[in-house]
Amino acid sequence: MRMCVDMKKCQYHGQCVIAAPDLFSFAEDGSLKWVETIDDSLRQQAEDAADVCPEQAITLEG
Amino acid sequence: MTMTLATRVEDLPFLDVKDPAFSIRSPEVADAREQSWCARTPYGIAVLRYDEVQKLMRDPRLRQGSYAWPAMNDATGKFADWWSRMLLSQEGSDHARLRRLANPAFSPKLVTSLQPAFAVLANELIDTFAKKDSCEFMADFAEPYATRVICTLLGLPHEVWRELADIAADMGLALGVTFKQDIPRIDAATQKLFDYAANLIADRRARDLGTDFLSLLIKTNQEDQQALSDQEMVDMVVLAIFGGIDTTRNQLGLAIDMFLQHPAQWALLAAQPELGRAAVEEVMRVRPTITWVTREAVTDFSYEGIDIAKGTTLHLFSQAACSDPRAFPDAGFDITAERKPHFGFGGGAHHCLGHFIARGDMTEALAILARRLKNMRLGGEPKWLPDSGNTGAISLPIAFDPEV
Repeated sequence: MRMCVDMKKCQYHGQCVIAAPDLFSFAEDGSLKWVETIDDSLRQQAEDAADVCPEQAITLEG
Repeated sequence: MTMTLATRVEDLPFLDVKDPAFSIRSPEVADAREQSWCARTPYGIAVLRYDEVQKLMRDPRLRQGSYAWPAMNDATGKFADWWSRMLLSQEGSDHARLRRLANPAFSPKLVTSLQPAFAVLANELIDTFAKKDSCEFMADFAEPYATRVICTLLGLPHEVWRELADIAADMGLALGVTFKQDIPRIDAATQKLFDYAANLIADRRARDLGTDFLSLLIKTNQEDQQALSDQEMVDMVVLAIFGGIDTTRNQLGLAIDMFLQHPAQWALLAAQPELGRAAVEEVMRVRPTITWVTREAVTDFSYEGIDIAKGTTLHLFSQAACSDPRAFPDAGFDITAERKPHFGFGGGAHHCLGHFIARGDMTEALAILARRLKNMRLGGEPKWLPDSGNTGAISLPIAFDPEV
């Protein structure tokens, strides 16, 4: 499964970091880092992150 | 070469936000916003401009600051104790654990599935007054609607709505600037809600657990006290009930207040109900019930020439920021305009948990109200809470053309 984050929508709330700590993190400079290709074992975390994003900026494919 | 001179905090404009007569929408605030990006208040610093509010909302040198609200008001008691324990006051790993647990109960998928039920509820309430030519909007619509949406969401019997609405309204006084003087009323209501939540949990426990929010909390608590303690469970139920009622009630009243002043926009919404969602966003931009979002400095730092000491409270003024001409050069109320995001649901790690529900139910309500209450106008003298902290109408009489 592939995960995309629309950075035009992202407001850096960090709800994805809370919901899916194995897939999202903030770098030292405050930028958002995420895993683009999701292993099946982390599918639920990815779906939780997509669900919870206040701006609905996360999309999952596959 | 230009030099930025450090401004001393004592040279900043002063806003007496503690005075119940103070208005967040006063020219005084707009003047202060022109003088500086921030002002002094009796609580600390008020941040007034859009860019600074947006950046500070998620600045890691600040923590959520509302946890200190009872102490700031010299308030103790049942509400103050609950407030200091609950989700909004937690940080770090405890906050993340509780937030992950609560998230599924407020997911956008769930809200989409409830949208038809919101419409049925809105129409049922409007039926009770549409054939007359007037109503008291808060009592006749905003209160029962906001409360019964929460009943639907949490699987509570709708018959208890009146009691829950009264409890939420009394507890809501804690979030205004008159907190201290209202403590007896606030704490009596808090005790009632804790009793109700404890009964609710005991009752659900005695039956087969399902997939609803309450069952999920009970299962987690039964399996592992570390994942959710008994206290955390009841605190969470109290938050889920209280958090959604008073805020939505007030925000709906403020929406009607905006449309009373802009009848052409009301007619436009009636003609184009698909603008309902945009109407909610535009209302929350200029007339949010949460007029400020609170942060506290966890370290000493300097920001835009101002030295901010560890422990300083910063109130991020959502209304002032979202009417900042730097970010919104076209200041008018326009539900068709493309706007930058507002801060009516806060932001960052503590972004409102229930915002999908609030957006969903208010979208449905406003679109249906606009369609059915033609030629809406003020029907008497409204009563208002102080225009700072969590604000809204106490009562809001409206008139309209009766439905035939």
